Amino acid sequence: MAQVGSGDVAKMAVLFERHNRSLFRYFVSLNRNRELSEDLVQDVFFRMLRYRASYDPNQNFTAWMYQIARNANIDQAQKRRAEVVGIDEFDDRRDPSAGPAEVAEKNQDVTILKRALDRLPADKKELLVLARFQDLKYEEIAGLLGCEVGTVKVRVFRAMRALEEIYHTLLKDARAGRDGTNGV
Amino acid sequence: MNCEESKMLLADYWAQTLSETKELEFDAHIASCEACRAETERLGALWTSLAKIPVEEPSPALRSRFYDTLAAYRHGLESAPKPSWKDRILALWPKQPAFQMGLSFALLAIGVGIGYTAKPGVKTLEPENQEVAALRGEVTNMRQMVALSLLQQQSASERLRGVSYAVQVPSSDTEVLSALLKTVNQDPSVNVRLQAIDALHQFGASPVTRTAVVQSIPKQDTPLVQIALIDLLVDLKDRDSAPELSKVASDDKIDAAVRQHAQWALGKLQ
Repeated sequence: MAQVGSGDVAKMAVLFERHNRSLFRYFVSLNRNRELSEDLVQDVFFRMLRYRASYDPNQNFTAWMYQIARNANIDQAQKRRAEVVGIDEFDDRRDPSAGPAEVAEKNQDVTILKRALDRLPADKKELLVLARFQDLKYEEIAGLLGCEVGTVKVRVFRAMRALEEIYHTLLKDARAGRDGTNGV
Repeated sequence: MNCEESKMLLADYWAQTLSETKELEFDAHIASCEACRAETERLGALWTSLAKIPVEEPSPALRSRFYDTLAAYRHGLESAPKPSWKDRILALWPKQPAFQMGLSFALLAIGVGIGYTAKPGVKTLEPENQEVAALRGEVTNMRQMVALSLLQQQSASERLRGVSYAVQVPSSDTEVLSALLKTVNQDPSVNVRLQAIDALHQFGASPVTRTAVVQSIPKQDTPLVQIALIDLLVDLKDRDSAPELSKVASDDKIDAAVRQHAQWALGKLQ
């Protein structure tokens, strides 16, 4: 990244190859919208390009990148809130994994876990995504979120408890549905 | 260790970042506390299961868009008006009046001095030209990098784009030539191979190209590609390939249309 700072913009291509997939995974885990997530990845790389002069070579690159990623996500969310009214992002009727064919899937429990993760409140979900999928250390997450590392660890624990509760509720509903006792 | 304290350690326990001492204390607690042990196991299983959620991959469009935009960005940098000497000097001008006055006097003195010594018609070398040259070099490097990267992608349409970038690099670029030749010989898509053969026109001056093209013909499995390779040799007027083309023209294992084409090519190359 320091090389990009000194004007060698072509090196940004190397950074892209290295990080585009994990950044995409971060965004799509948060917003479940593939198109939007690709837009956001693009946005992050070009913000890094534009702000390259502000990158401090002593700073951890991943931390800087995720800082920019979070800001890009927040900016997008604000823009979308202004445009979209009243649509539940995680409406199961739009969720392709909730169709009847998927219910018969072998890995149904994992699908339900994914839905449970989607239903977590945004801050808990982001925390778990950063800790579990983006391989960030708790210290790095603390820096990103601007809190103490101890706080991060407690929050991770609470997020897992919340996830478990939602997961078991969904599991119960799914099994009731399969057994035909749903009464629909 | 009490229950509260052990719960605070769970995040580290899952991430396997507990110190040995803490881990021993933690293990001791859950060995003696049913509730904590049960929760540790349940949440631990959930933590492990999270890894089973399928990983989403971006579409090939993401890469294409990125490289297109990067190229446009570089093009914009290259053609953006450079600040003139005047602008640069004005940027240096001090804001404080006292400093301005001091600097003005100093410049006046220097100006007068230069006036006595400067010869008319002497131009100072513009650093802008050096910058543009450096930028051009970087754009070329980038095209090369983009071409090489795209030629290795899974999607045929991306490899096609890689070929179109390859055409834009200098014909002396051996890395890109090598990648193109590999594409001609090994790419699973006939379309991509045909485009790569087209691109090889650019690199026709190199003997490496001609030799590789000639050797590729009998190894190809698609007549269309073999014919395109023969056409390339004719376009490059490569008379040295005549012996090989003769062999192709008389090789029974090769498609009749290709043999005929090789015969025709021999006529053209005489």
